[in-house]
Amino acid sequence: MIEVKNVTKTYGKKQNVFTALDDVTLSIPEGTSVAILGKSGSGKSTLMHAMSGLDRPEKGEVVIDGENILTLKQKAVDRFRAEKIGFIFQSFFVQGNESVYDNVSMPLEIANVSGSKRKARVEAALEAVELSDKTKNKAKNLSGGQKQRLAIARAIANEPSIIFADEPTGNLDSVTGAKVEELLFGYNRKKGVTLIIVTHDPDLASRCDMVVSIKDGKIESIKQKKATVPQKQTVKRKVVQ
Amino acid sequence: MKITDTIRRAGRSLRQAKARTLLTSLAIGVGAFTITLALAAGAGGRQYASDIISSNTDVRELYVQPKMDGGAMDPTKPREYVEGPTMQYGGGYSMKMLSSSDVETLKNIENVIEVTPVYNASALYVTREGQKKYQAGLEPHNSAIKDEILAGSTDGIGDDEVILPSAFAEVLGVPQDDSALGKTIDIVIANTTTGVQKTYVLKVKAVVKSSILSAVGSTTLRTSRDTVADMYAFSMKGTPLETAYIGATVMAKDEASVAGVKKVIEDKGFMAQTAEDLMGFLFQFINVLMGILIGFGALAVVTSVFGIINTQYISVLERTQQIGLMKALGMRRRDVGRLFKFEAAWIGFLGGALGSGAAWLAGTIANPWISDTLSLGDSHLLIFQPLSFVIIIGGLMFVAVASGILPSRKAAKLDPIEALRTE
Repeated sequence: MIEVKNVTKTYGKKQNVFTALDDVTLSIPEGTSVAILGKSGSGKSTLMHAMSGLDRPEKGEVVIDGENILTLKQKAVDRFRAEKIGFIFQSFFVQGNESVYDNVSMPLEIANVSGSKRKARVEAALEAVELSDKTKNKAKNLSGGQKQRLAIARAIANEPSIIFADEPTGNLDSVTGAKVEELLFGYNRKKGVTLIIVTHDPDLASRCDMVVSIKDGKIESIKQKKATVPQKQTVKRKVVQ
Repeated sequence: MKITDTIRRAGRSLRQAKARTLLTSLAIGVGAFTITLALAAGAGGRQYASDIISSNTDVRELYVQPKMDGGAMDPTKPREYVEGPTMQYGGGYSMKMLSSSDVETLKNIENVIEVTPVYNASALYVTREGQKKYQAGLEPHNSAIKDEILAGSTDGIGDDEVILPSAFAEVLGVPQDDSALGKTIDIVIANTTTGVQKTYVLKVKAVVKSSILSAVGSTTLRTSRDTVADMYAFSMKGTPLETAYIGATVMAKDEASVAGVKKVIEDKGFMAQTAEDLMGFLFQFINVLMGILIGFGALAVVTSVFGIINTQYISVLERTQQIGLMKALGMRRRDVGRLFKFEAAWIGFLGGALGSGAAWLAGTIANPWISDTLSLGDSHLLIFQPLSFVIIIGGLMFVAVASGILPSRKAAKLDPIEALRTE
């Protein structure tokens, strides 16, 4: 369960102040797939950063599994990200000079997973994205779609409970993009992982259980496909001015 | 993140920029090279000095000279005349000498078993029948001196016997094996004032190898103490220096009493030097030379520090995205900083290993040639001690890590959001 309460984030000082997030409140039940939909500059990325503990908004709370990550110490936030969160980026950010294996192994090393478990998890993750045959290849020799699948493997390797995907298909053609989407939603359904996709693409957004539209740092609307959300977890819905 | 994983990742990052890593470490390697050679030369020099001293002196021996008066060393002031025998040099310089009463005083000191004045005896020439005449000095044989004996034995030398260095044996036509023993050498001594000559015919007791290690060995023949004393007395007869000596060797009862004897001698107004003092003086000289060399090496290391800082800064800039990603994935600041410090440590290790390895190789190749040129015999000028490699490489790794602190801090402070912004 992710609860965002009255989060405000501003950039700049005094006259030049820019409000990236303006009193945003929303709640995401566990296992949901959520799209944060908005144009560029709408504040959707800032919202993702706030929810993942990369950024610290000056006001509000981000409560994940009962803990406000904005009041945690840096060390604890780092551990929280290492253990509970997986990231997928528009431009992949795979380490081209390193092998496919080492790319996937990196989050496990960071999270201090022991050597014996590590190998099994890396192999399982690569299996899931169908890259098992590329284990020893250098990441830079992969195609765009393979790179993004590698990034997915890296994101799921440590078995996170939340996956953030920032425009995951933005740099891919429609065929490879569809495959990446398939992988993400498949993983979300199979493992019950919360999937949060930041996108400006309404088609991709429409495939999610919940669509949060954001404009000028404010939430415009929250739409939900009721059927997929378990009944006990009623979503507090609050549209803020 | 585990330390071993961090070290592995650091090594891998360096391998991805091989040329840059190598060039940066070569800079530090120059320092390592110089310092390794300096330490090796220092160790070799000390070994050489202690070889010279231990093969020419006895630890129980003290060398005693009259005390120089205060002004003796200052050439700008006239020196006061002091009563007693002196040796005159030109230009108003003179050297005080020990009188026979001084020698008596020394003999009466407790724990002193023997006092041998330095007989400054020189032969007019030495020769053999049918051979040329050669100059030579004469010294009493001291059984503590270690020789490499080619023939005969140096023990228990008689008054009519002589120990011959191989260089003399060669020019005087004496074989360098046991057939040399018993062959006679003519030593001609002249009186300083009258010019009257006296020939001492001595039998060869032993032939020893001439070596640069034995300070007395190459130009000096050794015979018994009494014979040398007699030669000295003959040559100085009728001069004021007949019973005066430039110094004396005092033999203490045992090693433990040397310090006490030295103190008593100094209290009585003489200068005394033990073998240890002599060694200390030589060591100090060697250490100063070594220090200068190390200074040059240190200068190279200081220069390479800037190289490391520069390289690491560039590396941080180049890998902004990677650092951002690692931090986004939850890598702690401390671990990011550590990653870059380990990279610096690798550079230091590589530079230290390359530099000291090259120094070892160069030294090992050059050693026989140096020994040959300086006629050091079997001893080597450069002695490489394993510990010095450990210290150099360890020290340079430390220096490298210290230079990596600023860049690693920059990496640790990177904001992942900024770092991952793509454009």
